[in-house]
Amino acid sequence: MTSLRSGLGWALLAVSALAFVYILGPLAVIVAASFGDTGYIAFPPEGFSLRSYRAALTDIRYVGGFFISLRLAATVAFLSLVVGTLAAVALTRLDFPGRSFLEAFFLSPLILPTLVIAVALTLFFANTPLLPGGMPRLVAGHLLVGVPLVLRVMLPVLRRVDRSVEEAAQNLGASPVMAFILVTLPALRPGLFAAAALAFIFSFDEVEMALFIGSAREAPLTVVLYGAAQMQFDPTVAAVSSLLIMLAGTLMLLRQAFVRP
Amino acid sequence: MSTTLDLQGIEKRYGATRAVAGVDLSVAPGELVALLGPSGCGKTTTLRMVAGFVEPTAGRILMGGADITRMPPHKRNAGMVFQSYALFPHLSVADNIAFGLRRRAVPRAEIAARVARMVSLLQLDGLEQRLPRQLSGGQQQRVAVGRALVINPAVLLLDEPFSNLDALLRDSTRIEMRRLQTTLGLTTLFVTHDQAEAMAISDRIAVMHRGRIEQIGTPREIYDRPATRFVAGFIGRANLFDAPEEAGLRLAPAEPGAAACWLLRPEAVTLDLAPPEGPNAVAGTVEVVSFLGTGTHVSLRLPSGRILLAEGPAAWADRFRPGSPATARWDRAALVAIRAA
Repeated sequence: MTSLRSGLGWALLAVSALAFVYILGPLAVIVAASFGDTGYIAFPPEGFSLRSYRAALTDIRYVGGFFISLRLAATVAFLSLVVGTLAAVALTRLDFPGRSFLEAFFLSPLILPTLVIAVALTLFFANTPLLPGGMPRLVAGHLLVGVPLVLRVMLPVLRRVDRSVEEAAQNLGASPVMAFILVTLPALRPGLFAAAALAFIFSFDEVEMALFIGSAREAPLTVVLYGAAQMQFDPTVAAVSSLLIMLAGTLMLLRQAFVRP
Repeated sequence: MSTTLDLQGIEKRYGATRAVAGVDLSVAPGELVALLGPSGCGKTTTLRMVAGFVEPTAGRILMGGADITRMPPHKRNAGMVFQSYALFPHLSVADNIAFGLRRRAVPRAEIAARVARMVSLLQLDGLEQRLPRQLSGGQQQRVAVGRALVINPAVLLLDEPFSNLDALLRDSTRIEMRRLQTTLGLTTLFVTHDQAEAMAISDRIAVMHRGRIEQIGTPREIYDRPATRFVAGFIGRANLFDAPEEAGLRLAPAEPGAAACWLLRPEAVTLDLAPPEGPNAVAGTVEVVSFLGTGTHVSLRLPSGRILLAEGPAAWADRFRPGSPATARWDRAALVAIRAA
């Protein structure tokens, strides 16, 4: 134990520290810069003010973009959860030919860059205007990734569920559907929460598809930020980014509080 | 309340393998029948077919004379106690027990009364609001039993209900279970791999092997007159001989008719130090002496090289030492001819 602590232990600590700096460093820079008192982004920040936060929270483009993103992400999370969970139930409960192929196929969008999906969807919708432009198409695009995300969380969760508990419910008089709702669904709750959070965060943070197939009039926050960062790189961008980081942080803390490992 | 349960030519095939290969069984009202056998013998599949979780490939299941072969599980009115207990983890003890009553739309006041009666019957008082994970193993088992009994099931199905309890608790729990079952007069099918457990509480035992019932009878019949070599070896400890002459045993006069093999229970064998004379006696060397408190198990190595098991009083532990000679004797009537292989 002592030798592990002195040799390997210190090495592990060093690597962990490096990883933390690597991951959190850029975030710290942005957050620090957002408190600067200059008209441009500067690091290290000069002075201290909440001016850029006031600017961010009164700018209709950012506030509007935030609520568009919120609506988009909530829709994507909900639809992904319903479709993904039902697909996961089918993949874990039913035995049919091609089941494992179908599972791999459903998960495959996760290994594609979203930019590739975005370009493909632009071409696809140009030729086949299946959905009205703007939001509906963007939701459909996000579902391509949201559903696999939910699926990847729910497949192992469903495989771990004790089937005899559901059988017990049926044995006591609950129809198969009622047994699932009354007994299995409560057991899935932590997994459902985690899956929905993943799909929500993906949709909220996604920029490529939003740029390509979203409408300019209903631009999500990421698109607004992207535009602003290209035009004028002012501290407002840093303030909005910091607010997003804090939001994500809060969500993660909530998740930790509600979902036991 | 109490009904008959009949299995007629029940079969379950999975592809080419027959998990259950034609089982016929009639359980009388209020009777407790054990399905006993090693793992993979088809006993659990048979029970699950009665519960409705597995659909038979062939055959019929009758409950109180009515054909339920194709009826979904939730309409069968068979209370089942699962090996893992399968309690609803997010529901309290009271809600677990009330679950079946709620599904049957029993009025609220009656649910409360019946749950309370079950709670006191199973000595779960004061635990009503606990969650299953806050209970001990024995308490969880009682909740599983209460949940199955409160719906007044037509038949009770027990799937290894004692196997997750420690040895001390297992004995008292199965006696309590048997008392409840006889008081309520419940027709019961009980799956177990533990022959002592089956003998202790069953009216009849069906010994299963390779998807079939090898023998069905009272514990006494199964133990004293096993029908097959498998049953003889599976129930209790046994000395099995392919031929009477084997191991230098002189079994004169030889029994007329062909026997597949011969069974001699260890407790029918006595040991002493005098030389063997006449038939039904053989000399050997003591190999292992196990003192068990209530008695002693001795393994005797015969000149032919095979082992003869003997069970006797605790005093044997002092009288016989490993390596010393001893003579085994038995009553001719104790040697049981087994007809089928």
